[in-house]
Amino acid sequence: MAFLGQFLASLAAILVLAWIARRMGLGRDIRIRDEQHAQMLADEVICGFEAREIALDRSGRAALLRDHAGRVILVKVHGAQFAGRLLGPGSSATIWEDFGQRSLEADSGERLFGRALLDVDNPENWVSAINGAKVSSHA
Amino acid sequence: MPDYSPIDFAVPFFVALVLIEMIWAWRRRPQAYEPRDTLTSLAFGLGSSAAGLLTGAAVLALSLWLYQFRLFDFGAEWWMVWWAWPLCFVLDDLGYYWFHRCAHRVRWFWASHVNHHSSQHYNLSTALRQSWTGFFALSFIFRIPLTLLGFHPAMILFVGAFNLIYQFWIHTEAIGRMPRWFEAVMNTPSHHRVHHATNPIYLDRNYAGTFIVWDRLFGTFQQEGTERIRYGIVRQLGTFNLFWAVFHEWIGIAQDVWRAPWRHKLSYIWRPPGWTHDGSRDTSDMIRARWLERHGETATDGAEKPVPNDNPIAGREKPA
Repeated sequence: MAFLGQFLASLAAILVLAWIARRMGLGRDIRIRDEQHAQMLADEVICGFEAREIALDRSGRAALLRDHAGRVILVKVHGAQFAGRLLGPGSSATIWEDFGQRSLEADSGERLFGRALLDVDNPENWVSAINGAKVSSHA
Repeated sequence: MPDYSPIDFAVPFFVALVLIEMIWAWRRRPQAYEPRDTLTSLAFGLGSSAAGLLTGAAVLALSLWLYQFRLFDFGAEWWMVWWAWPLCFVLDDLGYYWFHRCAHRVRWFWASHVNHHSSQHYNLSTALRQSWTGFFALSFIFRIPLTLLGFHPAMILFVGAFNLIYQFWIHTEAIGRMPRWFEAVMNTPSHHRVHHATNPIYLDRNYAGTFIVWDRLFGTFQQEGTERIRYGIVRQLGTFNLFWAVFHEWIGIAQDVWRAPWRHKLSYIWRPPGWTHDGSRDTSDMIRARWLERHGETATDGAEKPVPNDNPIAGREKPA
């Protein structure tokens, strides 16, 4: 019984702390600044990754990078930080059209990592790069 | 002999200090906290306490049984032997160093310990991000030698609790460097930031609990450099989902063991995190070696040498 009381008090304390952090506006709204920044973020996903081609979302919320070996990395905003994934057989890409605006949706294939919507030039190239990687991986 | 856990008394201070650090972050460095990350970390702490309560009795019972086979005997009133307390603390800290080193180098132990590292933030709430699966991972075996030496399990648990309390305050970016003499002997925020970093040159360094001298002695010490650090794990979670954060590495082990050829199955349990039989992933040694190949050995040999300058995650500053 004492433990239950302690547990509930602790639960209340952590909820209050998280609420305070939210009310204080802690965290930050971050963006991928430019291609160089995207390259550095990709290097953190795979040390030594050198992008040959970069597609940076116009809002800076995500980027796709492809190296000479054809590997594609998706980097996106995660909270107040960034996180990235090397896209593989489970990944996919789709082009969405909404009121004449075409967007590229890159799905990491991991349910919890999720997907990113990118406003980029020539999204078709990335669809074939990502979905093509899937085909070649299965071959 | 005290019959309470020092951690129970420390919890209100933990909460107060987190609050104070939040105020510091609000004024000076808002990016030091992220509310969803904070909630996940604190929920880790709560779950870990509950798990400890469920499994603590089993660990204590096992320790008391092993205690009858002890090498040395401090007598019936062992708690009156004053020098046994500091000795136990120092030896427990040595044991902690080796536990911690194994927790980073053996995937089975890492599956539990990764919980503590999976936040991309480094603040006092990160200190409370403790594992739920330590018992399952058999982490308690690292304290058995002390019991067999003759230290009573209650004494070991007591000093271990103080060790854990000590480690709370070093999880902060609010403190730069402590006085030189202190940095030389004790684990500090500076040393422990290195430990939580994913910058290649910092991977698997500074395992100390209370005394940094163990790292200096066993060759795993790395001084904090001048560049900003990025925190977390090599493959960042990319989610704030608590249950995925708790169990993801265990699930990863199960999947790897299931898929691996028979002769490699066990290797996915006892080899370092990132090891694969086909070389498709990287261990921290491989990442470090690749980075050194690009940047040169000299980058590691001095206290003020820069760490990887490709470090944009933690801030907006341009890399050096």
